[in-house]
Amino acid sequence: MLTLKKEWLESKREGRMVWLSSIVLLLLGCALLSSWHSYQQQQVQKQQVIKSERERWVNQGDKGPHSAAHYGIYIIKPDTPLLIVDPGLSDYQGSVLRLEAHKKNDTLFRSIQDAIQMQRFGDLNPAFIMQTLIPLLIILLGFHSISAERESGTLKQLLANGLNPKRFYIAKVLALTGSGLLFFAPVVLYLMYSLLFSDSFSADRSTLFIVSYSAYIFIWSILTLSVSSYAKTSRSALIILLVIWALACLLVPKFAIEDAAQRYPTQSSQVFQSKLESEIYTPARQQAIAQFKQDTLAEYGVDKVDELPFLWSGAQLQFGENYANKVFDRLYSQRRKQLKAQSFHYQNSAIFSPFIALQTISMSAAATDLAHHQLFTNAGEKHRRLIQNTLNGDLKDNGLQSSKQNQRYQADHHLWEKIPDFHYQYPGIYQLSEHYGRAALCLILWLAALVLLSHFAIRRIEREGQ
Amino acid sequence: MNSLILGCEIKNLRRERLLWLLVVVTVCFSVLANYNGYQWVSAQNAVIASAQQEQQKAIVTAQQGLTERKSSNKPINWWDDPYDLRGQAFYLMVNYATKPPLPSAALAVGQSDVQPYFFRMLVTSKQDFINQYEFVHPLALLIGKFDLAFFIIYVLPLLLISVCFNALSQEKQSGQLRLLMLQGLSPRRLLFNQLVIRASIIILPLLLISVSALLLFSEGIGLLAISFFIGVVLAYALFWLALSALVISYGKTSAYNAAVLVITWLSFVIIIPTVLNSLIVTANTAPSRIEYVDSLREQTDEVDKSSSKVMAQYFQDHPELANKKRADKAEVTAGNETTNLPSTSYSTKKIAKIIATEKAMQPFDDAFQAVLMAQQKQAEQFSYLSPATIVQGALFDLSGNGLKRHQDFIEQVLSHHKTLRYYYQQRIVSAHQQGDFSPCEGCNARITVFDLAQVPQFTYQNKKTAMAWGSILMLLIFSEILMVLASLRLSMMNRSQTNAVLV
Repeated sequence: MLTLKKEWLESKREGRMVWLSSIVLLLLGCALLSSWHSYQQQQVQKQQVIKSERERWVNQGDKGPHSAAHYGIYIIKPDTPLLIVDPGLSDYQGSVLRLEAHKKNDTLFRSIQDAIQMQRFGDLNPAFIMQTLIPLLIILLGFHSISAERESGTLKQLLANGLNPKRFYIAKVLALTGSGLLFFAPVVLYLMYSLLFSDSFSADRSTLFIVSYSAYIFIWSILTLSVSSYAKTSRSALIILLVIWALACLLVPKFAIEDAAQRYPTQSSQVFQSKLESEIYTPARQQAIAQFKQDTLAEYGVDKVDELPFLWSGAQLQFGENYANKVFDRLYSQRRKQLKAQSFHYQNSAIFSPFIALQTISMSAAATDLAHHQLFTNAGEKHRRLIQNTLNGDLKDNGLQSSKQNQRYQADHHLWEKIPDFHYQYPGIYQLSEHYGRAALCLILWLAALVLLSHFAIRRIEREGQ
Repeated sequence: MNSLILGCEIKNLRRERLLWLLVVVTVCFSVLANYNGYQWVSAQNAVIASAQQEQQKAIVTAQQGLTERKSSNKPINWWDDPYDLRGQAFYLMVNYATKPPLPSAALAVGQSDVQPYFFRMLVTSKQDFINQYEFVHPLALLIGKFDLAFFIIYVLPLLLISVCFNALSQEKQSGQLRLLMLQGLSPRRLLFNQLVIRASIIILPLLLISVSALLLFSEGIGLLAISFFIGVVLAYALFWLALSALVISYGKTSAYNAAVLVITWLSFVIIIPTVLNSLIVTANTAPSRIEYVDSLREQTDEVDKSSSKVMAQYFQDHPELANKKRADKAEVTAGNETTNLPSTSYSTKKIAKIIATEKAMQPFDDAFQAVLMAQQKQAEQFSYLSPATIVQGALFDLSGNGLKRHQDFIEQVLSHHKTLRYYYQQRIVSAHQQGDFSPCEGCNARITVFDLAQVPQFTYQNKKTAMAWGSILMLLIFSEILMVLASLRLSMMNRSQTNAVLV
């Protein structure tokens, strides 16, 4: 208790630290408020556009089903309220997807493409502050915590007076973790609020968020005090800790993702798109269509497509879609496999950086990582196929009459209404543990390793008293 | 005296193992940063070469198949026919607009990883292609590459702080300073000599490696660009040295100096740029891209609904495309719905709709552009609040991977897009009027594309951008101010220490 009190008094006396802490808290508060404001605005806009898009689809008027398929729809990626705390990759992925005939599109409108170059310094969001700046503050608060006692000789005096090294160390860790958690307080308050007023879906995610960030703060606190107990001087403790911070928060993530991209390269979009086209629109496709035509004619025992009991063009369009879908599945799954390997490789590097571990878990909890984005695009693609199937099926089944009368078949709102609204909700976070499990394991390993290091640090303090 | 101090300092430094570790780190990071820069340049060049190859292949394949197509009576859809203007214009054209990296591109990846550097062009509305992008793991974009710009902006100051923070203060703490002052040495001279020597062991390897890489691997790079790069690095390093001198001049302990310098680094390199960026973005809020989608759909629907009005406007804007025999019929006002228009094909209508949609969306696009320009203008004005933002702007511009060159590229792409559209629209109208698209009932369209090499091709015209010498000047001015302040404080220290020595 006395140690805790002393720590508190010392922190208060350190004027510059109080200032710096206040600035960081203020920044965190502002970032949270600004994120919350833009989130609210964005949700209103998204709901509005989803509603208008549905109205446009249903009221598009009478037209051929294939024209409607080309008219397509735009779907909007859903967000979780945790986006406020960690926007993750949302600026780099785009949140609008166009669903249309013959094409599987990538998401549109990545905010980063509308950004100025200063944006590359990073975005002042709560996650950035908590993942990058708070560890630095913990270091600045605690680097001299034990080493200064040693330098001034008070450590030996305290030990001679019967101070229990273990309690002394634990009290220091608690004091430093407490200070760290104080910075986390605005976010925790927001999360508590969202826990109270939201469903269990967000509650699980918020819990994971709170637990992982608390563990992260604890890790940096133990790390700081362990180094402080080993270092001969406060100066060397500070240098060592700053090197660890720079490596963990700035350099290792860069090296890790660069290495992942080198090991599991993805094709450039130019090659990918050109491959898609060259593998879909091939003579083999023409042959497959011709074969399908022959098979269909044989199945119905007729000689010409005009004699079929349905409109051939509808069946042919669907055949074309199915043909293209196979190519999409193959090529996109190759790309997805490489991206997943990159994500896993990056996560494995969390063994060298708790920042990577926390960043991965945090983005997963906030549904702003690549895995959630792909879940959304997969659901979008499923919906696109449903639309094509329904529209082509309708053309096939109902278009014959008009064709016989030499007219173009036109469907109406009854058909458009058959296409359901696109609603997507991400699965529960524990079902997605595959995507952040390695990171969580690394975070636990960091904790275990540092607890072990603490054990040795305490023994070192004990030896000093002998 | 100076050579004595230098000799003594070099001897001291030789003994410091940590310092040599920092030199090794500098060398390794410099090599890695340059390597990453050149890797990225070579990856971009490979994509551009692949695009050009694909474009060339399409031209050659079409030339080789021309005779066969001429003699063939096999039914072919126009949208599958590479010899049909409409098929080429809307679906099959392989026409790329690419932005080749500058010789100095390896210095900073800048925004080249998030902004597209190639576009596949078709006769579509610009909204259909302008949002294309290179698909990579988005995490790689968030984290960014470890390039020379990152190394210089973020890591170089930390390395300089690491070697300089205990200059003078170590001598003061150990009591050597008083002895040295007894021999007539001023703290100012000692500190400045220490800083120069210590900074040299970091800056020299960095410059040596980077300049060698530029000379060896950047074909066509000018000496002026190299000089500018050296100037930026030296001016930025000078700023951090001057700041270190000022902090040290307060005469506190090494640990205190290190803590203050790290907090200053954090403020200048991380907090100020991110806060500044957030403030600029908040002060100039961009319109919503989600709402943009809504507007795009509304405008497209509107254009679809008022087809005859769109056609009237089209022929009013392009009377040369109306059939001369029926030119009188084209004299219509866009405001009046009329069916009294020249005979038009599906393709002409499609092009007219594309033009109308683009025109209707122009105010929305202008709004985004205006906000982006306002943000960039403010970012440039306020960049002087941090040396890191000054250096970022200078290096991004020098590498040609900043916003300015990208904007210039986009302008040229849009202009090429218009050229391509005009190329096709007049030929499509003419072919339609000559009956090339339906020469007889049920037969294929006539060949309307004989040589794809005749289709306008894109060549990026590189605009020479002025080098931001003002950035270097600003850094030098800031450094000068800091050095004057440090000198004043050191003079005070000199007096107080001399008094102490005398006592």
